[in-house]
Amino acid sequence: MTPGFIIAALLIFAASIFTVRSSKLVHAVLWLGAMLASTAVLFIQLDAPFLAGIQLLLYVGGVMTLMIFGVMLTKKSGDGELRTESAPALRGLVISLALFGLLAGGIFSMTNGAPALQKPEEVASIAASVLGEHWLAFETLSVLLLAAMVGAILLARKRDAGAPESGKASPR
Amino acid sequence: MIFAASLAAAVVIVVLSATALALWYERKLAARMQTRIGPQFVGPIGLFQPVADLLKLVQKEEIVPMGADRVLFALAPPLTVIFALAAAAFVPLWPGVAVVRSDVGVLLVIGFGGLAMVPVWMAGWASFNKYALLGAMRAVAQSISYGVPLVLAAMVPVILAGTMDLDGITQFQATHHWFGLWPIIPGLPAFILFLLAMLAESNRIPFDIPEAESELVAGVTTEYTGMQFGFVYLAEYVHTVVGAAIGSVMFLGGWDGPFAPGLHWLLLKTLCLFTFIYWIRWTLVRLRADQLMTLCWKWLVPAGLGLVFLSAAWNQTGWSR
Repeated sequence: MTPGFIIAALLIFAASIFTVRSSKLVHAVLWLGAMLASTAVLFIQLDAPFLAGIQLLLYVGGVMTLMIFGVMLTKKSGDGELRTESAPALRGLVISLALFGLLAGGIFSMTNGAPALQKPEEVASIAASVLGEHWLAFETLSVLLLAAMVGAILLARKRDAGAPESGKASPR
Repeated sequence: MIFAASLAAAVVIVVLSATALALWYERKLAARMQTRIGPQFVGPIGLFQPVADLLKLVQKEEIVPMGADRVLFALAPPLTVIFALAAAAFVPLWPGVAVVRSDVGVLLVIGFGGLAMVPVWMAGWASFNKYALLGAMRAVAQSISYGVPLVLAAMVPVILAGTMDLDGITQFQATHHWFGLWPIIPGLPAFILFLLAMLAESNRIPFDIPEAESELVAGVTTEYTGMQFGFVYLAEYVHTVVGAAIGSVMFLGGWDGPFAPGLHWLLLKTLCLFTFIYWIRWTLVRLRADQLMTLCWKWLVPAGLGLVFLSAAWNQTGWSR
C-alpha cells in the first residue's frame, strides 16, 4: 500500500460517510461528487488514466449533474432547506457491513490466483476489444440507450402542444 | 518529479499573470472597438489597471447573505479558479513537454472542463438568491448541453491524428498539416464548432446567459463581493485563456510553426484566438436561453456527428499518410 493509495482511500471513505450522513441533500450530492473524483485519483494511481477521465466525465460531470438537476427541479418553493434522513445508525451499520462482506468476499475470490496486470492499460487495446471482440454488446447498448432517450423525450413531452404561453417555440 | 512540480508552478504563475494581462488587453481592445481609449492612467498605457482592480477588490468587505450556505458560499469561488486552471496542466508547451503528459489528455481536459460547472452551481445554490439560482441552473444546463458538441468537435483531431495525447496531436500536425486548415472539410468546421462550444462552456458572450445582466442582475455572482467576486471573474478569464490554448493545440498546431518551433508559437496562437473570442464578445449580442438550446441540439450536435463521420471517412481515404 503506497501513501498515495492510503490518502485516496481515506478520501473516498470520508466522502462516502459524509454522503450518507449529511442532513442537507445538496451537501450529500457534493460529497458524492468528491467521492467519485477521489475514485478517479485511485484510477490514476493504478496507471489507468483513461478510466480516470471516463470517471470524471461520466460520473462527476454526468451523474452529479443529473442529481443537481434533480435537486433544483424538485425543490419546493418557499422553504430553503432540502433535508435527507439517514436510517437508524445500528440498522445502517449492520446492512453496510453485510454488503461490505459480500463484496469483499466476491472480490477476493475473483482475484485469488489471478495474475496481476502486467502492463498499464492502453486506450488502443480497450478500443480494440470494445469495437472488435465485443462489438455486438457495444452496438446493442447504444441502441438501448437511444431507445431510452427517445422514450424519455416522449414521456416528458406535453400532450397538448401549442398552448398559448409556449408561443412560437411550441413543438410541431 | 521536481521538474514537473516546478513546471506546474511556472504554468500556474504564467497563466494567472497572462490572465491579468488579458484583463487589460480586453479592456483596451473593447475600448478601441467602441472608439474609446480605455484604461490609461495607471502605469504606462494603463498596464497596471488589473493590479489596481485587484487591490480594490481585496479591500472590499466580504458580505455573506442571510440564509446562505456559508461553507459552500465560501468554497465555491476558489474552486472555480482551481478547476479552470486544471486543464492548463495538459497543454504541451514545447515538443514533448507538458506538466502532465497523458495518453488520454483530450479526455482529461474535457473532463475537467465539465467539472467547472460544479463550483458555479455551488455558488448559485449557496447564495440563497433567486437570480443566482436561476443563473446557476442555466449554467449547468448550458454546460452539459454544450459538452456534447465539444466532445464531438474534439473527436475530429483525435481521429485524424489517431491519438488522444495532446502532444501526439501536435506532433502529427507538425509533421502533416494543421487540422484547422487541412483537411478543410472536417477540420475548419470542427475548429469553429470547438470554439463555439468552448465559448459556451466558459459562459462567454454570445453564450453568457447565466449572467445576463438584463435578466438576472449578475447571475451566480449577484451576492458575491470583494475578492470572492474577483475569483469567479478571474476563473472566467482563466477558462478562456486555457480554452484558447487548448484550441490552438488541437487545431492550430500548438508549438509548431515556421523557423523555430516552441512555446512562443503556442503563445502567439493563443493570443490570436483570445483576440478572436473577445472580438466576438464585443460584437455579437447574447442569445436567448431557448435559442441557445436550439442552436446546440438542433444544429451543433448533428453537425458534430457529421464531422466525426467525415473525419473517419478522411482517414479511410489514406490521403493524409
